Amino acid sequence: MFDQLRAFHRPTTIAQALRVFRTERRRGGRGAFVAGGTDVVVVGDRRLRYLVDVTNLPLRYIRRRGGGWAIGATSRMADLEHSAQLRRFADGALAEAAGTCGSPQIRNMATIGGNLANASPACDTAPPLLALDASVVVAGPAGRRTVPLDRFFRGVNRTALDGGLLIEILIPAPPIPRRGRAAWSFQKLGRLKSDIAVVNAATGVAVDQSGRCAWARIALGAVAPTPLRARRAEALLVGRVPDRAAIAEAAARVAAELKPVSDVRGTADYRREMSRVLVARALEECAGRLGRSS
Amino acid sequence: MNEREIHVTVNGDTRSWSVAPGELLLDVLRREAYWGVKRGCETGECGACAVLLDGQPVNSCLMFAAQADGRRLLTIEGVAHGDRLDPLQEAFLDHGAVQCGYCTPAMVLCTRALLERRADPTEDEVREALSGVLCRCTGYRKPVEAVLAAAKTRSAAAKPKSARRKGAAR
Repeated sequence: MFDQLRAFHRPTTIAQALRVFRTERRRGGRGAFVAGGTDVVVVGDRRLRYLVDVTNLPLRYIRRRGGGWAIGATSRMADLEHSAQLRRFADGALAEAAGTCGSPQIRNMATIGGNLANASPACDTAPPLLALDASVVVAGPAGRRTVPLDRFFRGVNRTALDGGLLIEILIPAPPIPRRGRAAWSFQKLGRLKSDIAVVNAATGVAVDQSGRCAWARIALGAVAPTPLRARRAEALLVGRVPDRAAIAEAAARVAAELKPVSDVRGTADYRREMSRVLVARALEECAGRLGRSS
Repeated sequence: MNEREIHVTVNGDTRSWSVAPGELLLDVLRREAYWGVKRGCETGECGACAVLLDGQPVNSCLMFAAQADGRRLLTIEGVAHGDRLDPLQEAFLDHGAVQCGYCTPAMVLCTRALLERRADPTEDEVREALSGVLCRCTGYRKPVEAVLAAAKTRSAAAKPKSARRKGAAR
């Protein structure tokens, strides 16, 4: 299938990976980094002349860092899904999302770095990561840079990588108000759990000790060229008790911030309506979790 | 051009193969006569090409052969013990869980990986383990029953009587 490949490199350090990629690029032709292969092989770009496999780099880890998390880019979806610590963090929203990224075999192969770098509008790990204010670390010839995830996606299959290699995902400690608390939720609409999403959404809600919303995060996928935050809808919740009325208002506001397309999985109108439903469901789940823990 | 030598352990045997840069694991396994690894959709959807990589199911159609270097593979050819079928395979036969048979190797491998991890799985867990293997003949009910029955046989065989008593006391 990839008869046209002249080289398949397997570097063991980040520096080596960048060096061999640069050398190959000078020789000409199109190339790419590859990890689990679940996007690169399926797309099957016949113009590819070289691949640099990053699965031998020391990037398969899930670690606590400064109250938050550092996740190595080649961590498999199954690693995230089964991580006992991640399942307890942010109500398990990220672990849950990772657990819906394709079949069990796919989740044993697909990496979180690949899921983000592929920049599918329907990327399932993006909404929870956006709701958690995550950033990605990109290694390139000029050094490393940290890019907030909401500036990383540039379009369908387009990112701010610019030839660099995504090496790590950073999740900061959630800014929970003093004596307040926070809750998260992940929701996905597909024919089956592991199908590509028609719409996916993640929300986070923090309340102060009076029960009023200190901040809200609403992120969605498959409803625009990139996964996105619905910031105006988030703003509607701030300062209010997240009750049924406030949630309905915020969820209704979400539709105005989207640019869904019609395709085989759903029409633009359907996606807009399902966005409202999923966001309401996610916010209700957050409110329920906040209520239970008080 | 630019072939490389890879060393893999397949079904317990050490093998050294020369592979091209763009060769996929599925193609190499079939070239090497592991015909139980089935070519299906070649886009990672149907799961017929599943093998166990270091004990975990993966779709060999999406993996470059070079990436298998140094790893341990199990295909359906390595599941039976000589002429004696594995109890999981026996269960598939006993329950009539095989029709055309094309997806059966992958079903056996994926559920074997589950049973290694969870000796006593729930029906939901079995269905989840089978969710990446598409059957277009008969469906999933009989395979699910077969796997649940095999789990019972396996755990009964694995535990000596004293251990079973201890288990019951907990």
